[in-house]
Amino acid sequence: MPLSLNYLVKRLLWSVSVLVGVVVFSYLVIILSPGDPAVKWAGNPRGPGATKAVEEARRELGLDLPLYLQVLNFLRMVFTGDLGLSIAYRQPVFAVLSRNLTATLELLAFAYLIGAPLGSLLGVLAALRRGARLDGFLQTLGLALASTPTFWLGMAIFAALLPSGFAPYGRVSTGLALATGFQAVTGFYLIDAILQLNPSVFLDVLARLIPPALAVAAYPLGVCLRISRALVADALLEEYVRAAVAWGVKRRAVVWSYAFRAALPGLVQVAGIAFAYSLVDAMVVEYVFGREGLGRLLFDAITLSDFKLAIGLLVLVATFYLVVNTLADIAQALIDPRVKL
Amino acid sequence: MLAAIVVAGVLAAYFLVYLPSTRRTAVKTLVYAYNDKITGIDPSIEDDTGLVVIGSVYETLLRYDPVRNVTVPVLAESWESSENGTVWVFRLRRGVVFHDGTPFNATAVKLSIERARDVYRETGRGAGYIWDAVEEVEVVDDYTVRIKLSYPQRLDLMAAASYAAYIFSPSALAKAGASSPLDPKLEEWFNGGNDAGSGPYYIEYYSPESEVRLRKFEKWWGWNLANNPDAPDVVVIKVRPDPLDQYNGLLAGEIDIASSVPRANVRDLAARGFKVINLTTFHNYILLLNVRRYPTSVKEFRLALLHAIPWDEVVSVALRGFGRLGSGILPYGFPGHVEGLRYTYNPTLVREYLEKSGVGSGAVVEFAYQSDYEENEAFAQLLKSRLAEFNITVVLKPMAWTAVKDAGKEVWTDPDKAPHLIISDWWPTMPSPYDYLYSLLHSESQEWNWAGYNNTEFDELIDSAYELEGANYSEALQLYADAQRIVHEEGVAVNLWDEVRPFVVSERVEVPDGALNPLYMYVIRFEYVKVRE
Repeated sequence: MPLSLNYLVKRLLWSVSVLVGVVVFSYLVIILSPGDPAVKWAGNPRGPGATKAVEEARRELGLDLPLYLQVLNFLRMVFTGDLGLSIAYRQPVFAVLSRNLTATLELLAFAYLIGAPLGSLLGVLAALRRGARLDGFLQTLGLALASTPTFWLGMAIFAALLPSGFAPYGRVSTGLALATGFQAVTGFYLIDAILQLNPSVFLDVLARLIPPALAVAAYPLGVCLRISRALVADALLEEYVRAAVAWGVKRRAVVWSYAFRAALPGLVQVAGIAFAYSLVDAMVVEYVFGREGLGRLLFDAITLSDFKLAIGLLVLVATFYLVVNTLADIAQALIDPRVKL
Repeated sequence: MLAAIVVAGVLAAYFLVYLPSTRRTAVKTLVYAYNDKITGIDPSIEDDTGLVVIGSVYETLLRYDPVRNVTVPVLAESWESSENGTVWVFRLRRGVVFHDGTPFNATAVKLSIERARDVYRETGRGAGYIWDAVEEVEVVDDYTVRIKLSYPQRLDLMAAASYAAYIFSPSALAKAGASSPLDPKLEEWFNGGNDAGSGPYYIEYYSPESEVRLRKFEKWWGWNLANNPDAPDVVVIKVRPDPLDQYNGLLAGEIDIASSVPRANVRDLAARGFKVINLTTFHNYILLLNVRRYPTSVKEFRLALLHAIPWDEVVSVALRGFGRLGSGILPYGFPGHVEGLRYTYNPTLVREYLEKSGVGSGAVVEFAYQSDYEENEAFAQLLKSRLAEFNITVVLKPMAWTAVKDAGKEVWTDPDKAPHLIISDWWPTMPSPYDYLYSLLHSESQEWNWAGYNNTEFDELIDSAYELEGANYSEALQLYADAQRIVHEEGVAVNLWDEVRPFVVSERVEVPDGALNPLYMYVIRFEYVKVRE
């Protein structure tokens, strides 16, 4: 077993300290920025009792306490999993987050299913044609995709589709969903449509998912293409690979069982980091396509001084990064026997 | 290769199978894009954007008709006042049921009014101050309530208010597990997406950050009066704060009524076949001048600034025509509005006032405004360029709304840190001039009086007027007018413009006159809207 208890304990402690840092830093930045959350919590009062209402709200939120006590209180709330009600919406923070999390994850996962395998495949293709025109083209493509601003790409795709009469706006056609009795159960609409045996909604959801997913997929596709190309090209020059060729091993086996397998641990590591990074891309792109999700939620939470929702969301994103990176490390260790954790 | 085949297959399905219209609905659906997040739906407490939902789900006793400046029946069929406006009797409509089937009666009215009033008295939250004068709500019988006031008041106007005047079913208490009307569990229950109203639509799904779905209430008492077989069965209110997002949604066919699109795109949409309904609203933008910080603390300097504004360009340049130049403080068509309380662009007068003010050349003033309102930004640029002609430098401070409010309030605690000029946008809770004048300029209103204005004469005038509304309405309006003249002469605040809001409507939808009412901001009376398939 490549995993040790020591690694897991260290990783856990490190993760907790990162989360503490995220909470403390975010809290200070949001609370010390202009905008009084107490006004929103008081319901933006207008009458003669408005000042009283805001003061009462400040007390309820604990904003009348010294700053260090506010931070400690908030840390306690985060680590006991009870952030209470969102200041802006007066609904439990975790209920609001979970409603929007699934929308973003669906987009992210779908984009990755397109981007990572396709990028890796094209990378192998470029490595096999090293130095040829195709190699140059694919490397340029990878660089362009990895460095194109995702929001711009999203806007370009949306604008390009408009003249066709179909604009992939939102997650599902409202009229179709209502007409066919579609219900969001898991929050992953593709899965919900399958579970409810609703092919028309499935296709509609898919049609609206592909364009934004292509925009989100650009980054992992570009990164995986370039990394996979570099690693496979290096592996192809290794002596054991050349020996395999000399021994007459079939070309397909040489490429996939020798060269690509050797490249896989590094590719998994980079793909893991890119996956976490793509979460932010998904949060931006969903805004462009009129989709619900974490991106819109975070923007609104900050403009509404809803520090509970904003920090809850940032903790969620940080946890996502930590989990994905840890899983990538573990996967690398499982694939590559030289790596010990 | 395999991945390429899969992608090609998916794309083929995407183009071939999807192309048939997605609008094959058997349900008449209307999608309304609303430009703000929904902050709550407690009918007694909500004092902000939740009105867009509450207005369709709950009903008031009366409704305000801004064209005739009268109140019209809703849940009350008739009403009368006696004893100099201190006793009001409302006779209620029979045969009305709430969404859960419980009957509407006088007990519900008593509970609703008292809860709104008492929550406000206890916590300062909500707009329950409209019931401030209410001493006692007496249930005379199932369909009659007698309300006794501590001072004369136009209670019919309060009963038609856009906040805190909604009637809910007493059964909500039991459903919420609340021990009393003030139990916080009741507010949580409402904000959890539950309703206890009697309006033409009930809440089917509530996600305040993104979408609210309303379904037609077949037992609504007013369907015969509405006489609209094409009324939507389902109304989806999509929360879409970004105007460009609403524009895209219209083009995509996913939005039927947009409440906010970029003004520059309105003509384009009209050319594409969308209908544009320009609603002159009671939402106005008031420029407040900090009277506690030099140099705007000097009256003559304030008047110089106000005469340096190119007023004839404000609506055409800042608002691209979507506005009406303001006069006094109150919007056009609102009770107490006074024509002729405007300033004019007059360079000679500006120089005279500047000289009289004693403020030397090269004055610098800070101007704070909400950055996500495109009209504010355009006005700010206009102001900056024109004041520069008089050697006055304007430092622009665009900021988020919450920061604007913080900056505005600071005039009372640290006036030198508050901006010299600030824009506050306002819409009324109740159809009374007191709503604007108290909130924006009374010395007790330190949450909203961002000018730091403290004038006893002004305060007394509007306080007297408010108490006179119930006994002598026309004299009360005269006092409100006098109060606005004082503000005008002192150059403390001015209504820059009344907003004209272009609602953009898809071809399949018809929004008749009367479905929109400037008092009930963004509330569309969906029962009158026609949806065609």
